[in-house]
Amino acid sequence: MTFRQHLVMLKEYLKMSLATAMEYRFNFMLEIGSMILNDMMWVSFWWIFFNKFPVVNEWVFNDIIIMYAIVNLSWGLNGVIFGNRNQLAKIIAEGRLDFYLNLPKNELFHVIIGKSSWFSMGDIIFGLIMAFISLELVHWPLFLLLTFFSMILFLSFNIIAGSLSFFIGNAEESSHQLNMTMIAFSSYPLPIFNDVAKLILLTIIPAGFIASIPIQLLKSFDWTWFLLLILASIVFLVLAIVIFRIGVRRYESGSMITLRG
Amino acid sequence: MIMGFAKYWEAGKISVNTRLNYGMDLLAHALLKGIYIFIFINLWGVVYSQGSNLIAGFTLNMMIWYLVMTEAVVTSPRKIVEVIGEKVQSGEITNSLTKPYNFILFEYANSMGQAIINFTTAFIAGSIIAGIFIGGFHIQWTTLPLVAIVIILGLTLHFLIMALLAIFSFWIEDAKALNFIYDKVVFVLGGMLAPLEIFPHWLEQITKYLPFSYIAYYPAKLWVQFSMNSFWNVIVGELVWIIVLIITLVIVYHICIRNISINGG
Repeated sequence: MTFRQHLVMLKEYLKMSLATAMEYRFNFMLEIGSMILNDMMWVSFWWIFFNKFPVVNEWVFNDIIIMYAIVNLSWGLNGVIFGNRNQLAKIIAEGRLDFYLNLPKNELFHVIIGKSSWFSMGDIIFGLIMAFISLELVHWPLFLLLTFFSMILFLSFNIIAGSLSFFIGNAEESSHQLNMTMIAFSSYPLPIFNDVAKLILLTIIPAGFIASIPIQLLKSFDWTWFLLLILASIVFLVLAIVIFRIGVRRYESGSMITLRG
Repeated sequence: MIMGFAKYWEAGKISVNTRLNYGMDLLAHALLKGIYIFIFINLWGVVYSQGSNLIAGFTLNMMIWYLVMTEAVVTSPRKIVEVIGEKVQSGEITNSLTKPYNFILFEYANSMGQAIINFTTAFIAGSIIAGIFIGGFHIQWTTLPLVAIVIILGLTLHFLIMALLAIFSFWIEDAKALNFIYDKVVFVLGGMLAPLEIFPHWLEQITKYLPFSYIAYYPAKLWVQFSMNSFWNVIVGELVWIIVLIITLVIVYHICIRNISINGG
């Protein structure tokens, strides 16, 4: 299948998922509304915090708003487009990968687009609202480009964490905790950490590249950090694909018959 | 009476054993809590390095040990809203009605069993990280049993609110959404992420009377700054909220059960 055909498949999956969600319209709206409220509670904490301490290592409240714009938009887009990316460990452990392996499509792409999380639509809306509040129009092209790289980093890390199930058995909880760790570190300013922690957050757990580096670039553009961000995104994406492929070779089907709803 | 409660005690013990059987899961839960404490140490370390040694009556040491306690308490129960909510929505609750136990009390025993194990592991993980990076603090050993009572009542209050929201999911049909929002309300307004003293004065006054602060803020504050006077105030506050929530829960639960019968008929 060509790249274009995969995009057509993605479009069809999204249409089907949206049509299903529209059958339960009240729940659809409730999920989106609750996610927006959820995100608002986090920002309200930071509002309280910066109300008491206006500057923390050169970070001000507006930086936090930009941070939430990038983290929510990138996480939300991944949730809607690649809704299965944080279910991988469970799918592998339960032997549900068989379905995807038997079809002439890229199995990794197919499995991660297999579901859409409509809770994530709340994140997208909230992320956009935060961006409108905190950014001038002139910053939008760069903001969207940086969000795209954050999406890749989140997605790659989710795939690597989910692929653990190929190697250690049921890694559902470990994968969930790793993903939570990534979100946790992404949602705090990088400058608060010491040098050793910063090094870890820019290498093993690339949370620093998700929001803190993009914010630094939006405030004062720097080619070195911009290229490092692109490099990190490519490295983690390649790593995720390679680890998943090695995992598939080790995968043993349980011949489990499953229904896909 | 005692025999009547024995079955719930046994349910709690089974829940403890079940939780202990998932070693890796427990370890992952503890590790994540340790990571959060590490983040808080860095964040508050920067804040304290910029200003005074005392913020809202807390030293850095007290602040971190306060957060070790709030993290361990608030995140220790299972996702009760989702667990009970699914049983309510799917109608599975009707199976429990035919059995010789009270559904809510059974879920309470189940939840507390797991919460105690989760609390202990999260607290140990948080304490190790705090101990390494910040150091220990002066513990008044004689007051620990009293703090434990406040924590258990706080967890009971936590359970009652979540059970009430779960029953509401019978009408709203989305327990996950309710769980999401409730979690964050306790995180912020309950004082899990920071003590209420850093809030603007008007907000601090409101939140101090809400039930959420009796789950996280008050138990953790007593843990780092115990006084007998505060202890009695907290106990009274917790008991008042527990009674109010039990009455509300009983009323809403019975309305829900009546509706389930009609649907089943």
